[in-house]
Amino acid sequence: MIMPVASGNIAARAQEPAPLLATVPPGTKLVVGDPQTKVALQLSGLIDEIPFEIEWTNLSGGPQTSEAFRARALDVGSVAEIPSIFANWNDLPVRNIAYREREDPIGHPIYRFGIAPGVEVKTLADFRGKRIAFSPGQAQGALVLRALQAAGLAKTDVTLVELPSTGDAYPIALASHQVDVAPIGGVLIRRYLNQYGADGATVIEHGLRDDPSHLYAPQWVLDDPAKAAALAVYVEFWARATQWVNDNPEAWVEGYYVKDQGLNQEDGEYLVELTGKQIVPANWDEVVARHQKTIDLLATELGYEPYSAEQIFDRRFEPLGATALAAR
Amino acid sequence: MTYLGSIDGRGPKLLEREGATNRPAPRSFEPRHAGIAPASTTRKRRRLGPGPAIPFGLQIGPLVLVLIWVAGSGLSLIDPRVLPSPWAIASTFGELIADGRLQSNFLTSSVRALLGLGFGIAIGLLLAIASGLSRVGEALIDGPIQIKRAVPTLAMIPLLMLWLGIGETMKVTIITLGVIVPIYMHTHNALRAIDERYVELAETLRMSQRDFLLQVVLPGAVPGFLLGLRFAVTLCWVSLVVVEQINATSGLGYMIELARSYGQTQVIIVGLVVYAFLGLASDGIVRLLEKRLLSWRRTLAH
Repeated sequence: MIMPVASGNIAARAQEPAPLLATVPPGTKLVVGDPQTKVALQLSGLIDEIPFEIEWTNLSGGPQTSEAFRARALDVGSVAEIPSIFANWNDLPVRNIAYREREDPIGHPIYRFGIAPGVEVKTLADFRGKRIAFSPGQAQGALVLRALQAAGLAKTDVTLVELPSTGDAYPIALASHQVDVAPIGGVLIRRYLNQYGADGATVIEHGLRDDPSHLYAPQWVLDDPAKAAALAVYVEFWARATQWVNDNPEAWVEGYYVKDQGLNQEDGEYLVELTGKQIVPANWDEVVARHQKTIDLLATELGYEPYSAEQIFDRRFEPLGATALAAR
Repeated sequence: MTYLGSIDGRGPKLLEREGATNRPAPRSFEPRHAGIAPASTTRKRRRLGPGPAIPFGLQIGPLVLVLIWVAGSGLSLIDPRVLPSPWAIASTFGELIADGRLQSNFLTSSVRALLGLGFGIAIGLLLAIASGLSRVGEALIDGPIQIKRAVPTLAMIPLLMLWLGIGETMKVTIITLGVIVPIYMHTHNALRAIDERYVELAETLRMSQRDFLLQVVLPGAVPGFLLGLRFAVTLCWVSLVVVEQINATSGLGYMIELARSYGQTQVIIVGLVVYAFLGLASDGIVRLLEKRLLSWRRTLAH
């Protein structure tokens, strides 16, 4: 398999970036793809305090966000850990500028492994010989590889079925026995069990951390002093919005899940319960170290060139989120 | 030109003169002799066309489909996980209308679809005329249209995002590009298929180029254009599912995509039912238009 490898430009942009401006120059505008935070800022009223113009877009997920970056149509996006790693492998220089995690990541995982009706899988070790849905560029794909690693299995011990996880593709693939195992998240977990539990469908916990959530921006946006200053302010508001959601679960269920996303009250409450509380750490050492492991694992399994995780974190932004919360 | 379809009493003159007497009577086993009329000349001739129209004939097929759905669900022959029952869909319809989601999404989508349709018709028609009536136009235009036809819209989205951004312009452009193709193809084809006899007739009558265009060519292309329009009106609606996957916060396609990510099959089916209805209704409107504009035509359809 021929895979594109990272070119030398990662090393080139590892040089020390200019310090952030203290104020956002007038006339600065950000195009933001972070639909959840937008609603949280609206519901909390924080949106009126943002001192520069924001154009909100409804883009989420790695593939869509990276596509919009390439089209120079977006300045910042919100994703999990994988998209920024792959973007740098695919010649789209981006860096993470904010990080949040779940307070109790093992008790509140984003994903669970759905098991097809009638298939005997109780632990990760039972994955041996099974057909597993695999989406290389998405968080779900990395989770599959990490689960195999945790179970001491090699890629060759299972059959990886390449299938992008869009919409409800994974639960449907499970229900129709196209795959034996697939990571499913959020409300789909509940729907899958409700609909196919009677036929013998199950889910298992993987016991791994799968909770990182990042803001990330293309290098050319970070190199623009005005945009970088605006991003710094945005990170602070993003942290405050995160905290507001923690503090106001009912308003969040009503305003986001029910009004904005069209789910019912029950589903919304389920999702809030599933997420638990989210925290914004002041120090990134741990997340960078975990990122490094993910990069190395993906590089080995998928044939990419490994690189230093430090290169995809812009440490200028490291203290901003936690400081904004502490100041309140 | 065939006159077979006109054996309906409205235009039989030519037929009687040309060949009616040569045709066998239905289920007639008498030996045939040239020039001798069949034994029972009073018996009704067998019609070769599809026969007279059934009232509301076009609505019967869809109605049968709905009945199968109702019966299948009512008798529990259809697993509700595979296809929810019509009454479950009806109640989801009710909920979506009650909280205003369906109407507002429909409104946004309509504006997008109709804008795309309008631009697409105008551009497709102009290109078809330019390419149909001049060799230079054909050389320049026909190839690119065939290329567009072969390129999947989904695959063009990244490129269109680069050129036009991720806003409304890009979305309407995608619909327009889709609509241009059937309008162009069918109009162009009809223009080129105009019978040589009419051209000769126009030449005999010493028609000016302008009159020839206005009185022969353009009316002759109308049936083709209308067929293209039938494809176009449904296409502009179905394109929404594609364009509203990108940076949309409203619209039918967005509603369906969002429901997909939460596994809300019933909402997806409500969207599909709306599409089905819109498709059928738009098609019906164009057919009505066809009836009006093409009332001069004598074909199997009449």
